[in-house]
Parts: sequence; C-alpha cells; structure tokens
Amino acid sequence: MTFLRRFGSLAGMAGILIFFAAMRPETFPTLGNWLNISQQVSMLLVVAVTMTVVMAMGDFDLSVGAMASLAGIVCAVALVNGVAIPGAIALALVAGLFGGLLNGALVSLAGLLPFVATLATMTIFSGLAFILSGGRTISGADIPAAFGDFARGGWVIAMDGDRALRLPPLTLVAVAVTVLAWMVLEQTSYGRRLYAIGGNAEAARLAGVPVASLRLSAFAITGLGAAVAGLMYAGRVASANPVQGDGLMLSAIAAVFLGQSLTESGQPRVMATVAGVVVLGALDNGLTQMRVDSYVREVLVGVIILLAVGVSALARRAGRGHH
Amino acid sequence: MRLLSLVGVSKSYGAVQALRGVSLDVRGAEVHALMGENGAGKSTLIRILSGLERPDSGQLLLDAAPLVLQSPQQAQASGLRVLHQELHVVPGLSVAENMHLHRRFPRRLGLVDWRGLNAAARVALDRLGLDHIDPRLPMGRLPTGDRMLCRIAATLVGADVPWLLILDEPTAALTPPESARLFSVIAEMKTQGAGILYVSHRMAEVMHLADRISVLRDGALVSSRPRNEASEQQLIEDMTGRPPRDLFPTRRKTVPAPPVLRVRGLRSSVLQGIDLDLVPGEVLGLAGLAGSGRGHLLRALIGAVPRSGDFNLAGKPLPASPQRAWAAGMAYIPRERRAEGLMLRRPITETVTLPHLRALGGWLIKRRAERTFMAWTGARVRLKAAGPHVPAAALSGGNQQKLLFARAIGANPKVLLLDDPTRGVDVGARADLYQLIRDLAEAGTAVLLVSSDLPELIGLSDRIAIVQGGRITQVLDADGLTEASLLAQTYKGTP
Repeated sequence: MTFLRRFGSLAGMAGILIFFAAMRPETFPTLGNWLNISQQVSMLLVVAVTMTVVMAMGDFDLSVGAMASLAGIVCAVALVNGVAIPGAIALALVAGLFGGLLNGALVSLAGLLPFVATLATMTIFSGLAFILSGGRTISGADIPAAFGDFARGGWVIAMDGDRALRLPPLTLVAVAVTVLAWMVLEQTSYGRRLYAIGGNAEAARLAGVPVASLRLSAFAITGLGAAVAGLMYAGRVASANPVQGDGLMLSAIAAVFLGQSLTESGQPRVMATVAGVVVLGALDNGLTQMRVDSYVREVLVGVIILLAVGVSALARRAGRGHH
Repeated sequence: MRLLSLVGVSKSYGAVQALRGVSLDVRGAEVHALMGENGAGKSTLIRILSGLERPDSGQLLLDAAPLVLQSPQQAQASGLRVLHQELHVVPGLSVAENMHLHRRFPRRLGLVDWRGLNAAARVALDRLGLDHIDPRLPMGRLPTGDRMLCRIAATLVGADVPWLLILDEPTAALTPPESARLFSVIAEMKTQGAGILYVSHRMAEVMHLADRISVLRDGALVSSRPRNEASEQQLIEDMTGRPPRDLFPTRRKTVPAPPVLRVRGLRSSVLQGIDLDLVPGEVLGLAGLAGSGRGHLLRALIGAVPRSGDFNLAGKPLPASPQRAWAAGMAYIPRERRAEGLMLRRPITETVTLPHLRALGGWLIKRRAERTFMAWTGARVRLKAAGPHVPAAALSGGNQQKLLFARAIGANPKVLLLDDPTRGVDVGARADLYQLIRDLAEAGTAVLLVSSDLPELIGLSDRIAIVQGGRITQVLDADGLTEASLLAQTYKGTP
C-alpha cells in the first residue's frame, strides 16, 4: 500500500509514455516529437508552475486563462497602435501584475474565497479582452513581423535526415519560468512561508508570518505568469483573439493536481507540476498520433486525471487509517 | 420518579484509567452537579451516558433494570439527552428548523408544513418561558445564550421528551444575564419532572443550582452529598486533593530588575485596561475563569488581535503584529495546538524554523543551518521524533507540544507567552516542559503563563495575577499559595 501511495501515480504516468512509445515507435519517442511537445505545452507549463505558487497556500486562481487572453489582446492592441514591441510586452505584463494583485487583494484584504474572487475576475478579464479587441482576432499586417519571429526561431540542435531540429524559444522561456518558480517556491524563505500558510494559515499568522501580504504577492506572481503565457501564445500564432488562452486554466489546475498525486505528502511542488504538464502534453500528442477522436480524447484525459488523483487520495486515506 | 444508577463503572483508554468503579445515582426532578478538574473523568462519564462509549466493567440501571447503551440513538430512546459544550447549531437556518434538525419536519401533502414547524417550536419555547425568542429568526441572529436555551427547548419537541438532561459546562460561553436565564430554565425543567446532570467547575453556580453535588478526581468518585451538607472549602479539597507538587522544579527568587515588558492601559474587545510589568527571569501566572480574558491577553500581546495601549519591550515600542513581535524577541505558544500551532502535514523542521527563517538563511533556505537548528532545539526540549522530516501529525500530543516549545525557544526569546502549555500532555512530557520553563526563566526569559491547571500555575509561577472580566484584579505571591485559596480568589466576586 505504501508503495502504491508513493509510486502508483508515477508508474501509471510512465506506463502511459511506454504505451505510446510501443504503439507509435516511429513517431512518438523521437527527439523531434518531444521538441514539438515541449513547444505545445510551454504556455501550459508557465501557467501551471505559477499556479503552483498560489496552490502551495491552498488557494487557486480561476482567472489565469482569461488573463492570458487579455494579456495577448493588450499586447496586440498596443502593437496596432504603434507601440514598440518591448513597450507592448511591458504593458501586457503590467496588466497581468495588476490583475493578480486585484485577485490577491480580494482574497487577502477583502477576505473573499479564492473561488468566488477569481471566478468574478475571470469574467471581468474576459470581458475586458472582448472590449479591447472589439471581439475580433487581431492579426496580419497590424502585428509587426518581428513579434512572431521570436517564437518561430530557435537553435538547431540536431538533424533528422535533412530536417533541422530546433530548440523552440518558447520552450526555453517556459523552462526559465519553471526554474524561477522552483527557486522562489522551494529555495527561499518566501516560498517556505507560502507552504506554511497552506499547512495552517492561522498557525502561520500566530508564528509571525505576514499572511495577508504574502497572499497578495503570490496572486500577483500567478497573474504575471498568466500574462507571460498569453504573450507566448500571441507570439506563437502572431495574432491575438479574446479567448485563445481560456483553456489554460482547467489544464493548469489539472496539471497541479496530477503533480500532487506524485508527491509523498500530496502537496503541490513545482517539479511535480512539471511532470503533470508533461503527462498531459504527451497524452494529447500520443492520442492524436493514434488518431483518437478529439472528443474521446477529452473523456480519456478526464478519466486519467480522476484515476491518478483518486487512487492517491484513497491510498493516502488508507495509510492514515493505520495510525 | 425515574432513577438512573451507575454501578461500579470503569473505563480505560490504553494505559489511562479514565473511570475507576464509579457508582452514582441520578434522579428525575433533581439537579445533580458533577464537579472535577480537567481529566477527572467527567467527559468519559458523559460519553458513556450519551451512548458513545461502553464501560469496560460495571453497569447502568434505569429504574433498577439493566440498561445497555450501544449508540446515541439508544441513549435518546432511553430518555437521556446530552447537550455538549460546543453549540452545534446551523446559523443560516431558522430557530424552528434548528430545533427540528434531529427529527422529521412536520409535513402536509408531502411538503414541509412551515406553519406547523414554527408552531411546534413556539410551544416548546413557551414551555420554558422563552417567549422573547422568535422561532422564525435565523439562529445566527440570536445571542449565544439564547442559542443554548433553544437547544434545551429543542429537547421538548416531539414525543421522546428526555427525562434526564446532561449539560456539559453550559455557561462556559454565556454572559451572567444569559446564565441567569439558563438557571431559571433549568428550574422550570426540574419542576416539570426532568432530572439535570450539571457538569461544571464553577463553584458559585453549582452551589446555587444543585440539589446534590458529586466530585470526581482521577477517575474515581470522591464524594457525593446533598448541597446543604457541602461547603465550597470541602468541594475544592475534594477536587484538588492530590499529592504534593514534586513535579515542579524549585524556583529561585528573581532579582529585582527593570522590566523587560512594560504594558500600560491595554484595551481590546475583551480587555478593559491592563497594566503589566514583567521582569527578566520571572514567571508570571495568569489565573482566571474561561472567558475572563487571560488567553486573550496573550493574543493581544503577540499582536494577533486589535488592541490599544502603551507597549514597551526591552526599551522599544512593541509593534502590533505577530511578525514584528517575534522579531522583537517575543514568542507565543497558542492554546489550540492543532488549530493554531502546527502545520500537521508539513515536515516538523518547517514548523520549528518558520519564525526564524530570516535569521537562519536570509532570503534563501539554508537546509544545513535548518538541520542544525532543528537538532539543537529538538535536543533542548527532549523531542522524540523519527527524523527531521516526519510530519507533525505523526508525533504524540506531548511531542507535538515540545515541537511548539522548540519553535518558541529557538531564538532565546526575551518574553515567552504560554497558553495552557501542558493541555493534553502526559506526565512524563509535562515534567520535561516544567524543567524547560524553569531553565528558560533562570536564563533570563520572562514567562507569562496561562493555565487552567492550578497545581501547575502555583508550582511554576513566581507571582500569579488574577484576571476577571478583562482586568487584573490582584497579583499574589505564588509562594505559600494553596489551590483552595487561589480558587477562592478566582471565584471572588463572580455570580
């Protein structure tokens, strides 16, 4: 039982990868495919690891998808209006920061439940994205070519026949954000205090942890992460529309939960979240290669999340029963 | 008149003998008070009478017929009803709905008959003279005292009206006028034939209410006499008559010195202007009844509740936030270990180093420094744990408390605030903690100690301040103080 609790999810996830590798040996376990997967999941990775920051406190943020969409729109609208690329990016990041601070203020200062506060800001951010864009996709000649070029570039790291395999820049961005989140959450006093809040907020407060200001800043980090993901999305497709980031929220929360099922104590950890993201990305990629219908794919992904999280929760309860 | 007899009832939990052959008669139309210190066995007795536990030996007789209680439902069917200390009410539902929670709502045509529901509640409330309570109001709008009265009235709803009502510390959360109303309701229940088993350690109300008073000590029945044969002095001796306090290390006289903590005019929602001087190396005990403000005073000092007044720690103003108070050299061990102290699922090292992270590594986590710190403080408190990474939940109660001590003494605090530090801690760990507190005082830490355990308070403190109604009414020298005289001082002036 202990073994199942500790490694059950991990074995299941490895099993999924092995299954795809066996079914599609020519295409799935190749460097080219994994570089592709890494680019596909890069936005999700950024949102998921910064979501891990608030989930370490036992909170979560439903507004990240809408914020990603909004940040892309802010950037695109700024570009259309002649703002230089660095300025447009800065504006989008500022939007993410303020959105996150708004969430943090609602939760820590006004005392709203994160579910309620971020559900409300989710619709606010989404509405703002529609207002700013007029409901249209902003693309084409209005967006400077240089903006999209970044995401399409990359460094050649290997040759597959006469095809150059490039390390996607978005992957690098995602890795950089992940390392940063890991540093902040697991190597600093700041991160330790967030985990303490997640462990017992009242106990943390009485032991001298400034709970309110930490909550505020953690939500700001998550908002900023969502904006970065929105910019990556916009760069990758060289356009922005007011719903393009919306799907990130559910996947990010799913990835953190999947990751939690991997850790011994069932707590959110950055590297565990990375594993969750990789599994979700590999599932999507592998099932597509096996030509599984996309609706069936959604059902399968849901079932797998339930299995992983459910089994580890049951195992943990059984483990507690022995004490 | 109905009669419930306990005959030689014993119950143990592991090595702890909670009840030792208790024989007791409880009658209808009588208020029977049950007294005893914490851990005397009152709660176990209540659990047996509510059908939650079965005695290891001995039996219950109801009107001379054997009574076996396997479940709360059976206890209820036998006419026994326990009202616990905690108020289990649903604040969002109406008074009438709350009064019907444990039974079917009256129906008409398959739907809830709201008029009938409210009428039934009205009848029950009126039977106890509670005509000031509107059954249609949300429970959450009623003051605490009225909620308690509604729960008593709820026992009168329906057919299975209990003949014996067991009240566990019913006045713990009530104001004096609310208590007075409760007493008149109890008197009304009694004239209607109900027996009341009244569990309390409030001397004044027991002497006022009870027809018979029984005292438990260390699981055994010490005395059971009619009220007119009982005296406060005798009851206190019955409750506390325990071996001398050799658990406690000898104290040395504190040297006169300028105070390390100086408080003037401390006010809060509970405190009514408190002045306090604490000298380095002294242990100041705070005695008082629940609700007197003694625990709240500690929370106010650490800055966890809004407060006003003049605060001075080692010559500097003391800021009103727990973060700054810890940084300024104050440490606090809260009363509720699990709810307010521990991160149960986090590794124990994280609990201990939490207030000291800045000192240990600055911005970054320095795991080696953390390990050293954990090993050092753990050894000082004689912590027994399987390793520095086990979760706090895996430790015994005594070791969990030692964990909080390790955290509190980690930075050699100037002032240590302790709220009932040995609650639920076994004797062995207790002795370790007492020695630790004395050692800290010798080394110059000033200790402010709240405890509901009187021997502990007298045994550890140099001086004892009596807290009543948010004020310090007097300060006594702990030397030569007896439990009886301290208890008498604590009760003085209360209704």
